[in-house]
Amino acid sequence: MKFLHCSIALLLFAACASDYKARKPVANDKACAEKIKPTGIKTAWYTTHIDVIGKHISGLLLVKQMPDSSKRVVFTNEAGVTFLDFEFRADGSFQVKQVIKQLDKKAVVQLLRKDFELMLGIPFRKGVYEAWQMNDERYFGVPQKKETAYFITGADCASLRRIELGSKRKKKVTVEMWGNNLTTPDSVKVKHYTFNMVIGLKKIER
Amino acid sequence: MFRKFVRTRSISVAKYTLLVSCCLMLTLHAFAQYPGYKSVTDLAAFKKQFAVESAKVQSITSDFVQQKELLALTETITSSGKFWFKRSNRVRIDYTKPFTYRMVMNGDKMMVKDDQKESRINVKSNKLFQQVNKIMIDCVQGTILDSKDFTTRVFENDKTYLLEMTPVSKTLKEFFQTIVLSVEKKDYSVKSIDMNEPSGDKTTITFSNKVLNAQVADEVFAL
Repeated sequence: MKFLHCSIALLLFAACASDYKARKPVANDKACAEKIKPTGIKTAWYTTHIDVIGKHISGLLLVKQMPDSSKRVVFTNEAGVTFLDFEFRADGSFQVKQVIKQLDKKAVVQLLRKDFELMLGIPFRKGVYEAWQMNDERYFGVPQKKETAYFITGADCASLRRIELGSKRKKKVTVEMWGNNLTTPDSVKVKHYTFNMVIGLKKIER
Repeated sequence: MFRKFVRTRSISVAKYTLLVSCCLMLTLHAFAQYPGYKSVTDLAAFKKQFAVESAKVQSITSDFVQQKELLALTETITSSGKFWFKRSNRVRIDYTKPFTYRMVMNGDKMMVKDDQKESRINVKSNKLFQQVNKIMIDCVQGTILDSKDFTTRVFENDKTYLLEMTPVSKTLKEFFQTIVLSVEKKDYSVKSIDMNEPSGDKTTITFSNKVLNAQVADEVFAL
């Protein structure tokens, strides 16, 4: 019984522990931030897998940079049927151009919007950052409504390690990109930490 | 009295003119929509013939090219693969380029396999899957004209029939404005399928190297 109490206390402690406890504010290295700042995916097609709470969905995702500097994200199934079409305008506004009834729920749209915004580097457009150091990593953060969007590099500021969205205490989403050119990465992984969801993208060579 | 006659007569003439204009506009619309095609007037006879000829196709093996056009985004993605059909109710589609994806429909069961996972679906448990499965099977085995899911108009030229299908249900209308089937007159096999979405986007699947009624093993459709 005592062991059970101790285990529950330990679990609660672990759940309450902050992911950012060891983070220390540092001076903002503007040169490093400008070098690493994600500009987001420009135009590319990806095969896409979404695993969410035991369900698996696959399809094709198009990210397209439009001539008016807006970006469109379109998700279709392999047979060509469009599931959603989101527009991210240059002024920061957002519009759902098309979404099928099955996905047309406020929570789903907002969740995907935030994930795509991280992939497109939208939170970092304004360029006002705070900087922190944690372990061997440098965090550059931009406050959002209730969260902070970070881009993270190593101490040497050599490359972008990941993009992250977190609340004050908890890491919520990470976006990792692989490839030589991060405006059209070869693969992308979006992982959620507050529930079980992973989006995987692999670039289609046409 | 005369005035009344003239007025009635004028209304009749106006009605007649309107009717003729409408017919003319509809015909012109059909021609404008499908240049080189004319309307098939005896739909009942065509349906009968279509059912008889389609029933002769027991199996199809074919290559296909699929083009998805996103109108507003001026983007097109082309994929290709292999297609199998075996009467009745069995279809397999393998996308091989530029990605791999397999879809097998066998009666009420369906299997999809991407490069990460295989999923088996009982289409009876999902109305949308059931409808999509039915459309695919109906298109290739020639029973689409009997489907209550669509209203159909038929056009022809010397080599091809065009079956323009407009969805009836709200669910299908969300995905398709029309589905247009191009059917070869020589063997009543499907040459291409155009899926037109309400947004103006379009997916065209074109079949090539078709082999009809060759031996196709049941294992091809194993789930």
